[in-house]
Amino acid sequence: MTKSSLRILVLVTDAFGGHGGIAQYNRDFITSLTQSDRVSDVIVLPRATPTLVTSLPAGVQYLPAVNGRIAYSLAAIRAAKAYRPIDVVFCGHPFMAPLAVVIAKPLRASLWVQVHGIDAWEELSFFYRKSIEMADLVTSVSRYTRQRLLGWVGIEPTRVKILPNTVDSRFQPGPKPNHLLERYAVRGGKVLLTVSRLARVEQYKGNDQVIRALPLVLLEHPQTIYVIVGDGDDRPRLEALAAEVGVMENVRFAGHVTHEELPDHFRVADAFVMPSTAEGFGIVFLEAMASGVHVIGGNRDGSLDPLADGVLGRVVDPYNREELTSVICTALRDAPAKVDRADRFNFQAFADHLHELVGSSFISASNRAPRMEAVQKTVYDQNTWNR
Amino acid sequence: MGGIVGIYAYHYAANSVDRAELLRIRDQMTARGPDGCGEWYSSDERVGLGHRRLAIVDLSERSVQPLVNASGKLVVTLNGEIYNSRQLRSALEAKGYVFRSQSDTEVLLNLYAEKGEAMVHDLRGMFAFGLWDGEKRVLLLARDPYGIKPLYYADDGWTIRFASQVKALVAGGKVSRRKEPAGWAGFWLFGSVPEPFTTYQEIRALPAGSTLLVDRIGTREARRYFSIADTYCQAEAAPSSGNDEELQIEARQALLDSVRHHLVADVPVGAFLSSGMDSAALVGLMRDAGQKDIQTVTLVFEESWNRSQDEAPLAAEIATQYGTRHTTRIVTEREFHDDLPKILDAMDQPTIEGLNTWFVGKAAREVGMKVAISGVGGDELFGGYSSFRDIPLCVRALAVPGRIPGLGDVARWLLTGVDRLTRVDPKAGGLLKYGATYPGAYLLSRGLFMPWELEGVLGQDMAYLGLRRLDPIRHIGSVLKPQPTTSFGKVAVLESSLYMRNQLLRNTDWANMAHSLEVRVPLVDVNLLTRLAPVTTRYRPQSKRLLASSPSVPIPTKVIDRRRTGFTSPIRSWLQRDRHVHQGRRVPSLAVDHCGWSRRWAFEVAELAKA
Repeated sequence: MTKSSLRILVLVTDAFGGHGGIAQYNRDFITSLTQSDRVSDVIVLPRATPTLVTSLPAGVQYLPAVNGRIAYSLAAIRAAKAYRPIDVVFCGHPFMAPLAVVIAKPLRASLWVQVHGIDAWEELSFFYRKSIEMADLVTSVSRYTRQRLLGWVGIEPTRVKILPNTVDSRFQPGPKPNHLLERYAVRGGKVLLTVSRLARVEQYKGNDQVIRALPLVLLEHPQTIYVIVGDGDDRPRLEALAAEVGVMENVRFAGHVTHEELPDHFRVADAFVMPSTAEGFGIVFLEAMASGVHVIGGNRDGSLDPLADGVLGRVVDPYNREELTSVICTALRDAPAKVDRADRFNFQAFADHLHELVGSSFISASNRAPRMEAVQKTVYDQNTWNR
Repeated sequence: MGGIVGIYAYHYAANSVDRAELLRIRDQMTARGPDGCGEWYSSDERVGLGHRRLAIVDLSERSVQPLVNASGKLVVTLNGEIYNSRQLRSALEAKGYVFRSQSDTEVLLNLYAEKGEAMVHDLRGMFAFGLWDGEKRVLLLARDPYGIKPLYYADDGWTIRFASQVKALVAGGKVSRRKEPAGWAGFWLFGSVPEPFTTYQEIRALPAGSTLLVDRIGTREARRYFSIADTYCQAEAAPSSGNDEELQIEARQALLDSVRHHLVADVPVGAFLSSGMDSAALVGLMRDAGQKDIQTVTLVFEESWNRSQDEAPLAAEIATQYGTRHTTRIVTEREFHDDLPKILDAMDQPTIEGLNTWFVGKAAREVGMKVAISGVGGDELFGGYSSFRDIPLCVRALAVPGRIPGLGDVARWLLTGVDRLTRVDPKAGGLLKYGATYPGAYLLSRGLFMPWELEGVLGQDMAYLGLRRLDPIRHIGSVLKPQPTTSFGKVAVLESSLYMRNQLLRNTDWANMAHSLEVRVPLVDVNLLTRLAPVTTRYRPQSKRLLASSPSVPIPTKVIDRRRTGFTSPIRSWLQRDRHVHQGRRVPSLAVDHCGWSRRWAFEVAELAKA
């Protein structure tokens, strides 16, 4: 191992063999690490491996998943010992930060904490906060999550960087699939789409607002059908709401859709709409953009990032029904959207940025530089100014 | 001189620079630079720089900023003055660099080409600049060693924006307005917002004497290239060895050198004149530096006119002594009330001082001054404040009881518990808790509110979070690293790095720039400090006389013998009569009769800043 190449221990909830946004993010992260010539070894310890892992990037030691907090902690410590010297400990979730500190500090390894969304918005208890404050580098998926984190964590803002989600290349534009046009009986009409879990605890997704706006949308676009992909314990409430508003005929609850069928569901839509108020980022926006449909999201959370403040998608105040209606109608009226909008968030850009972060002084030289509030404390050594 | 702005969309996911936003930020600062403006954008639209100009040196169009070098790779926008630009220019010309203008801004471009980030060590002056290196794709932000000129930046994780004013960044419309509890806590504790915090979470001040590099992964850690504490420590390690006469000669030479450097301009340089030693000595030294025609201005408040606290007669005597064209400007109560809304509008960050500064700046501009010399910094440099005596006394007296664990908290609880009944000063409650250390004693000395009072004015959550994030005692202590050994050195560092930096220099900037007036401060100068610290740390406590004795034509003895009168303006009673001011009487701790006026004024400022 050359002096400049790093051995990184990655502690994550799930990655390969996992589902959902965080697992995908972790896969991108690990894959990008293996592509960087600044990294020599990547040792990954997942909490869970829901499905069989069939293939891994070269250079990854993917340890068996360990469930249970204590067992996982012991396994992480054992892994750190077994694979010494560890240069960087990456912690994929703030809840693992205290464990990552316990491992990183005795080894004098750099500490890197990842934050996604709601998990980092509200103040956590003392140990979690202190652990994050001890990080050499924190990466956040969005500006909003970064801002919320900095609201309660006393870490130098320069140490908190953005590393956004990417979009899977299987989401591509294409003709509306016939079988879905048939299944949802939407041939000839306009299709509005939301893809989200329908959980009672996640009522912030904005399905309510879209259902309530639908009567007004139907005045201009009478053939519109609103397809809701996803399932959960909030579905009965939303069904009742659609009936109450009188749009049951125009709403289709698609239920859970398989991984394989999801790209086609985006292609069937004319506009993807999710006026959410609590997105960490919202990968679904990228998936919709990559599929070539118009995208509408909220202006109060991490959605602003995939929508690029309104440059890549339309931004609305989720609580303003008139505005939402108007924006939906405009989107349905407009010509098809540009198909290259999600390119900004392509995997290679992510991998290149990660490569730069790995080579930055936050990680590589952090154990040599003073930590925490270095701005106030450091008297810069004049000898290093190359005078 | 003027106002600067820049936007760098460094992250791959960020939108390109919004030109309209850049212009909104720039033109919010029109008063800072009414003589012209400019903008520059990189060809890929990832970087934009802007400038508002107050023309002082090289009045020609060739000096319009942002200034691009011959290769087109380097671009700079500068606020301030580089006083040694002529020497630097000669040295660079000797190395083959070609100059196209007489401006000090062009010196920055070539100096960067020669030395990179290390260039800041060579600069003498008051400055804040942003320099874009198109080849390395790096933005360099830098601020002068004392922090005379302001530089604020907002980094949202995709894009960094910088400007000379907080309000300008906010006016751009894309910076979060989320409040920073530490900035607000600092305001209530000290009466001004302590850097690097501002009242907004996303906006930070680049610390004085620091540089900041921004590349495609964003802001690197700010690097401090100068420390006042370090300078005092070095001075104590090698104090001046001469006799009194030799020390006086050294002081005079150092002061004259600083004044001479501060007179470089292509427009006349005037001076503020009070009845104090600092401004009188500076005017005398301006004469010694060869300036024959000096315009001076003195401020008098209507109610002080012809009374014992009137500064005008003595100032006029000084003016006669040095043959200046002198103006005495009277401020009436009516004018005060008329100006108050404008003052609060121009106030960039909340502060409880700066009202006098506003009016003297206004007076100077009225008589046609574009550049004025001010005596700010004299008390910090020569130990003029009572804190130079009181803080060491306090620390020595409380050294033993202060070490008893828990005693300070018990005493505080007992004393503040009966405060309302006995009218005990809130600071008395903190005496045992804080008085035994320099940072603690400094908080008592300069504090406006005590930490336990913040809940009453900020609310429970903001006060808790603000105190946690600011950590006032640690914040104060952080400037004492390394710690000077002499009490003079410690207090000088504290006053220069906290009160002067966050309060006096900030007020000097916003209150004068609002009148498009450049104020120069020859007593706030690194070369001067480096030469004088070995003298003042040894010559105390009479070191102010070093300044008074420096002009070849002595300042009137009445000025030297005059007792310090402190803040004697009638502003306190005028504020009480102002219809906009409500004195914070709805806050219980401010409603008590013995509440100090500055505490009530802080409430008004805070209310208006929040609006």
